[in-house]
Amino acid sequence: MIAVQAVLLAAALCVAVVLFGRRALLLYRLVRSGKPAARFDDVPARVTAEATVVVGQSKLLQRLGPGLMHAAIFWGFLVLFPTIVIAMIGAVDPHATLPWLGSQGWYMLLVDVFALLVLAGVVAAFAIRKVQRPARFKGSHRGEADLILGLIAGIVLTLFLWHASQISLGLNEWPASWTPLSGALASLLHGPAVPYVERAAVWAHVLIILSFLVYLPYSKHLHIAVAAINVYFGRTRARGRLEKIDFEKPEQEVRFGSAKVTDMTWKQMLDVVSCTECGRCQDACPAYNTGKALSPKLLVMAMRDQLLAEGPKALASPGHQPPAIVPNAVTDDVVWDCVTCGACVRECPVGIEHIDHVVDLRRNLVMVESRFPDEAGAMLRDVDRTSNPWGRPQGDRTQWAEGLGVRVLQPGEPAPDVLFWVGCAPAFDERARKSAISTVSLLQEAGVDFAILGPREACTGDPARRMGDEYTFQRLVGENVETLNGAGVKKILTTCPHCFNSLGNEYRDFGGAYEVVHHTEFLAELVRDGRLKPAASDASITYHDSCYLARHNDVREAPRELVAAVGRPVEMARNRERTFCCGAGGARMWMEEKRGRPINQERVRQAVETGAETLAVACPFCTVMLDDGVRETSSKMQVIDLATLLHEAVERRKSS
Amino acid sequence: MTVLALVELADGRPSEPSRQALTIAAAFGSPVHTVTIVPLDAIEGFAPDAWAAILERATKATGASAVVAAGTERGNEVMARLAARMGLPLASNCTAAWPGSPVEVTRLRWGGSLVEEARLHSPFPLLTVAPHTVAAAAVDAVEVDVRALAAQLEPRDLAVHASAHTASAGGGVSLGEAKVIVSGGRGVGSKEGFAIIEELASLLGAAVGCSRAVTSAGWRPHSDQVGQTGTKVAPEVYIACGISGATQHMAGLKGAKRILAINSDPQAPLMLNADYTVTGDLKEIVPAISAEIRGRR
Repeated sequence: MIAVQAVLLAAALCVAVVLFGRRALLLYRLVRSGKPAARFDDVPARVTAEATVVVGQSKLLQRLGPGLMHAAIFWGFLVLFPTIVIAMIGAVDPHATLPWLGSQGWYMLLVDVFALLVLAGVVAAFAIRKVQRPARFKGSHRGEADLILGLIAGIVLTLFLWHASQISLGLNEWPASWTPLSGALASLLHGPAVPYVERAAVWAHVLIILSFLVYLPYSKHLHIAVAAINVYFGRTRARGRLEKIDFEKPEQEVRFGSAKVTDMTWKQMLDVVSCTECGRCQDACPAYNTGKALSPKLLVMAMRDQLLAEGPKALASPGHQPPAIVPNAVTDDVVWDCVTCGACVRECPVGIEHIDHVVDLRRNLVMVESRFPDEAGAMLRDVDRTSNPWGRPQGDRTQWAEGLGVRVLQPGEPAPDVLFWVGCAPAFDERARKSAISTVSLLQEAGVDFAILGPREACTGDPARRMGDEYTFQRLVGENVETLNGAGVKKILTTCPHCFNSLGNEYRDFGGAYEVVHHTEFLAELVRDGRLKPAASDASITYHDSCYLARHNDVREAPRELVAAVGRPVEMARNRERTFCCGAGGARMWMEEKRGRPINQERVRQAVETGAETLAVACPFCTVMLDDGVRETSSKMQVIDLATLLHEAVERRKSS
Repeated sequence: MTVLALVELADGRPSEPSRQALTIAAAFGSPVHTVTIVPLDAIEGFAPDAWAAILERATKATGASAVVAAGTERGNEVMARLAARMGLPLASNCTAAWPGSPVEVTRLRWGGSLVEEARLHSPFPLLTVAPHTVAAAAVDAVEVDVRALAAQLEPRDLAVHASAHTASAGGGVSLGEAKVIVSGGRGVGSKEGFAIIEELASLLGAAVGCSRAVTSAGWRPHSDQVGQTGTKVAPEVYIACGISGATQHMAGLKGAKRILAINSDPQAPLMLNADYTVTGDLKEIVPAISAEIRGRR
């Protein structure tokens, strides 16, 4: 009997491993065929990510209910893993078990408890999917998920049944007193059929596990194998730092983004096969939530489907030309709807980096196909020609500072302690410049040695880069790095989170390494040091986190210190790293919002819900977008930059 | 030396840019043969490849040694196709040209923001002349030989042709070319509020424009939008009614010669940047201007 069962198990195991192995090998070869990505450095940070995101389930637990559900199943399976081996041994010989562990009471107690937790997790998952039915599953393969949950339930139920029948037959190698659940179940099992129940349960258990193994790589449930790998190879550097294109390389090696799925990097391929279709990205996406074509989830799923359809053909015959990703897998609109706010990346529990995918699609469309929304062409042309996105003369860059006594750093002059990088919007936009003027007054008040570059400052290139126009970006970087390095600048202060991100995170890829601080950080420090003394008013203020501060660069508390110093803070429901974009990021500032509802108005509605009188901002683009949103929705809120609010508070203290 | 010139007609007469092109053509030799493409049954409207084919045959028929056309949208496209057919370089948008070997040209690039001095190495110069940069030749001062040519077109020459003509939904005057624009902003208040703007525009023979706020609100189509992400305009007079003048809007106004702003807020950026301002309610002021114009007619 033992021999027969051993042969049967060996046969089942062989079939399962061969079927699983074939698919796994194909996926491995596919990912290996991806274009290079430098993701082998920085091992400590990768291990930390693995510990927090995978083992600690930190991303999943951002949503407590579904997070606990998943954690119960995931941690349960970590504990139950050795039971697979125990069950296989038991399937062959009812009287044998895994040496040592199979007879440990404490381990079997853990199995009892965690198996119940898994079962609870499955019930919760079904409740979420069938009763609560959140919108984030829209477009996901729901039938696939039901099948998988059914298989998991089957695995756990057969395990309980097996353990109970073992106890009933006295086959348990562990002290039965350690397993109250299985013991209670055993008391229900009597009679001559129990030996058959024991055999049936253990064999059903083993066969369900093997079926699961085979089904795994063909389904979205592949994530249990690849998510941990994908998280390990995730981005360890600043989130706002896009990958540099090295134009110096031989032309055929330069990757102008992704035209076809075979142009993706191996990390991007790993990304798309990791997707579990959970829809957390979609739920957080400002474009999707205002009725636009983009859903980050559907984008990743579409690229995965195309990769799995075309990738194997390309592997089989290297000459195979897969169809273009755009417009076959996703439409042009999907690519241009993205505001690069990073909400999806922040939410994704399996470490998918959606922004890199979108930017790569844009790079191909802009630099190879020259295909992008018409109205953005003016921005690209003006940035290239006049070094600012509105086509204003460089000579007008200091107009805003007339009469303020600001030093314009001349070539050859010694660098100031802090270079105030003004940015194009504050220099040219009527509404945005108020913040620059307030910042200057505060710096003067605190006696900070600073200067501006005036006409020698050019756009950082951020909007061009986010549009996918890497040429223009790199040309502007070259010019600015030469100016900044030539002037001996060490520390840069800026009011614009986009300049802040570019200068601080991206310029170092091009020979420009500076200490870059955002004005909210710098001003909060001046307040902390007592160099600025504000008097808070009793006005209620809600602060809108800019994506490029709060999410991409972790600047969340300094602005809040300032809000508390000038008024009465009230938080919006979506705050800090889960903020909702104003609609201007990713060069959307220079595109028409033709689809869905305006994002800026949606954010203003969220702000109005707090009942606050003032909507505090810390970004010139947020200022313009939200101020427009306030006017368009005829609300009474005032949109004011934190620098201006602080300046008012300092003046208030002086006059009281 | 015989030179061939492509002449476009406006109201049955050589258009201004074409006559300017003749000035340059005359410098390259004489007589100047002109090719005027009159509508044929086969080429109803614009068919750039067919035009290029006709030009190519005309060069052979006349023994011309250079071809010149006006640097209009059509001229540049036809000449680009001719250059491709002949495998020769084209110098487009020239403002001056000197015959020789090589030919020396001065030409506009980047939408006119860059002036390039270039040498054209070609046994057979192909040039287009940037409109309104050269004085138009009096047609009779140039020795022009007008000749009718039989066009022998092959089906493939007609691969590109105008299949239908649809007038712009805006009707009337197009924003980009309008001499006068009456534009409304959020201050107009509603879709219906644009009636007074349209009335004034029709009295002035002007185009109607609007700000981004107006298209966001759905009061006017995006084709009416003036600004960074709309149309960039260059009218003689821009009348801005209830537009605050966000940077996005001002970026589309750089070409306007005179700005008249009507706004209740004298501190609105557009009021500060305008040549003439009227402070007050546009719903009273605009109809008053219309009434005044009517009264004087």
